[in-house]
Amino acid sequence: MKIEYTYKFALPKSTVWTYIQDEDVLRNSLPGCKSFEEITSDVYVAELGLNTGPVKGLFAAEVQQTDQIPPNSYRLHVKGKGKPGEINAIAEMFLEETGDSTEVACIAEVEVTGLLAAVGQRVLGGVAKVILGQFFKAAEKEMVKVIS
Amino acid sequence: MPYVVGKPLKRKEDQKLITGHGHFTDDIKLPDMLYAAMKRSQYAHAKIKSVQVDEALKLPGVIAIYTGSDVQDKIKSIRSIWLVPGCDLIPKDRVPLATDKVNYVGEAVAMVIADSRYVAYDALDLIEVEYEELPAVVHQEEALEATAPTIYDDVPNNIAFTWKAGAVPEDIFVNADVVVKQRFYEQRVVANPMETRAAVAHFNPGSGELTLWCTTQNPHIHRMTYSDILGIPETKLRVIAPDMGGGFGAKIAVYTEEALVAFAAMDLKQPVKWIENRQEHFLATSHARDQVITTELAGTKDGKILAIRAKNIANLGAYLSTMGAGVPTIDFGLMITGAYTIPYAECETIGVYTNTTPTDAYRGAGKPEASYQIERIVNLYADKIGMDQVEVRRINLVPQGSFPYTNAMGCNYDSGDYQKVLRTALDTINYDELRKEQEEARKNGRLVGVGISTYVELCGLGPSKVAGAIGFGGGLWENSTIRVHPSGKVTIFTGASPHGQGEKTTFSQVVADKFGIPVEDIELVSGDTLINSMGWGTYGSRTTPVAGGALALAAERVVEKAKTIAAHELEVDVSDVDFNNGVFSVNGHPEKVRTFQEIAWSANNAWNLPEGVEPALEGQSFFDPPDFVYPFGAHICVVEVDQDTGMVKLKKYVCVDDVGRIINPLIVEGQIHGGIAQGIGQALWEQAVYSEKGQLLSGTFMDYAMPKASFFPMIESSFIESPSPVNALGVKGVGEAGTTAAPSAIVNAVIDALKPFGVVDLEMPLTPEKVWTAMQEGRNIK
Repeated sequence: MKIEYTYKFALPKSTVWTYIQDEDVLRNSLPGCKSFEEITSDVYVAELGLNTGPVKGLFAAEVQQTDQIPPNSYRLHVKGKGKPGEINAIAEMFLEETGDSTEVACIAEVEVTGLLAAVGQRVLGGVAKVILGQFFKAAEKEMVKVIS
Repeated sequence: MPYVVGKPLKRKEDQKLITGHGHFTDDIKLPDMLYAAMKRSQYAHAKIKSVQVDEALKLPGVIAIYTGSDVQDKIKSIRSIWLVPGCDLIPKDRVPLATDKVNYVGEAVAMVIADSRYVAYDALDLIEVEYEELPAVVHQEEALEATAPTIYDDVPNNIAFTWKAGAVPEDIFVNADVVVKQRFYEQRVVANPMETRAAVAHFNPGSGELTLWCTTQNPHIHRMTYSDILGIPETKLRVIAPDMGGGFGAKIAVYTEEALVAFAAMDLKQPVKWIENRQEHFLATSHARDQVITTELAGTKDGKILAIRAKNIANLGAYLSTMGAGVPTIDFGLMITGAYTIPYAECETIGVYTNTTPTDAYRGAGKPEASYQIERIVNLYADKIGMDQVEVRRINLVPQGSFPYTNAMGCNYDSGDYQKVLRTALDTINYDELRKEQEEARKNGRLVGVGISTYVELCGLGPSKVAGAIGFGGGLWENSTIRVHPSGKVTIFTGASPHGQGEKTTFSQVVADKFGIPVEDIELVSGDTLINSMGWGTYGSRTTPVAGGALALAAERVVEKAKTIAAHELEVDVSDVDFNNGVFSVNGHPEKVRTFQEIAWSANNAWNLPEGVEPALEGQSFFDPPDFVYPFGAHICVVEVDQDTGMVKLKKYVCVDDVGRIINPLIVEGQIHGGIAQGIGQALWEQAVYSEKGQLLSGTFMDYAMPKASFFPMIESSFIESPSPVNALGVKGVGEAGTTAAPSAIVNAVIDALKPFGVVDLEMPLTPEKVWTAMQEGRNIK
């Protein structure tokens, strides 16, 4: 399943690039984040308490960042595991400056198993957009807080 | 007493069911009962590295958790009952719980037993199963590719069997005027009875007796299998099918969960209940169809069909289910010539294992598939030679006067007039007028289509010697016992286990007429292996032809004995006694009469019986039919396709069926209606869809389109009755007729509607998206 989402940050590209991969910003902006730590370089483990549609409960996630081309793009490998099933995703993240703001586009290929697949497939695209929206909005808030 | 056979009596079953007094498996509540829940695989193909249950066991209320290794030496694997011979079959049995490897999403890996259903389900989340994912294969054609993952080391290319029947001399295809070839995909569907599967097991440690209530269409087959795999003699295992909310074939199969529940009840010495939820049902109860059928027809340019060849690549799922091998071979292959006189036929079926839920029988089981491919290819042939779909059928339908007719595969079509059902259906729908209206509609930009299906199906399974020859691991005879109580009231017992087909009513009608007593005086008891003599269950439209055949013979035995007793009491020779409408009488002696009830009383009291006559009034018959029965008919439907959306609207549906003698027209019509609804469901809406990795994407009613009553037009149904010569009632079976006929009628109609776009074929289900896309492509080609 392909999920595409774009968010416009009212911040310069360099700021977004610096902080969107920042551990503290991520910890504070990932929806329902219970824990977040870097275990090796660019590999993070997180626990997220999610509650949107069929994506409900505690998810243990491992996130790896690769293929960074500063300040334009990077790739996220996400492995999530929760009671309703597992999520595997590879997301391409693109940053583009548009005037005073920066557009971040996320193009993800997502695979799910278990209940998430059987019950959630049809609504999962929508759910993912809600969660991504929450994340970007919170991340922007965090970035503003950090730079000011 | 007015005769009641042939009368549309309301079903005796219904008052209880519609007033909420039915007693289903989930209604059974026993003291100290525990609840089971199954931990299921979320991978289609994976090695099991570990199953951690410690955390789950700590949950208050959890009594026990069983994993594959806990039960592997205690419960045998479940074998398929139908081991089709001569096809190098490699059967893969269902293991009670997966131990080393899971082979489809939904396969059970552990069972939790808890003191409440909620706790049992909560505990499932605390079980940690560590998997190593393996590449999965979902579609049968992909499973045959050399690069495909192999599911079993000893099954090369995932081929479970290669079955062949019939032969067509090669020069027929080479020399034929016309050869038409088309690939059809009978998509995977899921039977969705209102009631999902369920089981309650009770064990008596004192006597060693186990009682298992479960949703089965064939309790004796379940007893036979569970007795073997659990190691309990049949004498101590009682299987009961209480009221059931439908089966449609999915409850023929013998599954693992019921055996696990029985095992747990014995192990824990407490009753255990398991109720499948709907999502589990989608994953764990057998699916059906999923056959890729390529059909070739050779014919003359003036409409005579010379030969037919079909190749069926059947998706068996991950294991060989109870009737998994029989459906795409015997059930399908022997009927590929349909209702036509086609001199030569040949069928090859390749059974393929994949990482999907096992497939098994579903209403029609092989016959809807056979009927679909022939009814579609006949239309393609008609188009190719520029002949109307009616004319090509008139030329090739089995002609009147040739019954019993033996088809190219050796099946003996029993009786009837195939041309007449078509004629009647055409007259009813006013075909010629309809074609004119269609032309007019086309001129006005409306896409109207007319589709015909002339079907015949193999039913009333069947002679036991045939069952043996085709590898069916059981008999196919049936029994009926008629017990006349001292008051003259009657209980019928049957080994076939009806579960919604209305035999409580139809069997009562038969006996009411035989004995001249009110229908209200008769009850039917079925579904209990302790009470009912051995029988083989309800499927294959067999209960009325076979168990009903037994019933008619048993009733005659009762009448014969009653006559002997009446003659003794009336002091005449038995040959002088007439029995009519419930009264024994002697010609010319109006004072010499006895009622049926009076003789019931005498027989049961036995104060004054003739020499050598045993007490009581009871008749029993074990009937093994000499052959199958072959219901047939013609279905015609009219559809209109919305040009803008691709939506198919059903405008009219007319069917004329010959299902032999009709005992209760109301029930027969209901069976036809229900069957058509399920057939149209397959044609237009239903499909089980897997992702490439074997995740079932259509696992809820949000994603799996179940037809609703409002989707259908009024079905105009009528009947022609040609009694079958193979059973005493002359019946042919009706349960699967609609499902067999409807899909091709619908698809033929839609393709007819899309003719202006040059559309030749579309795969079911004909969703608006698919139809719309076909129209766009048609436009582009033009």
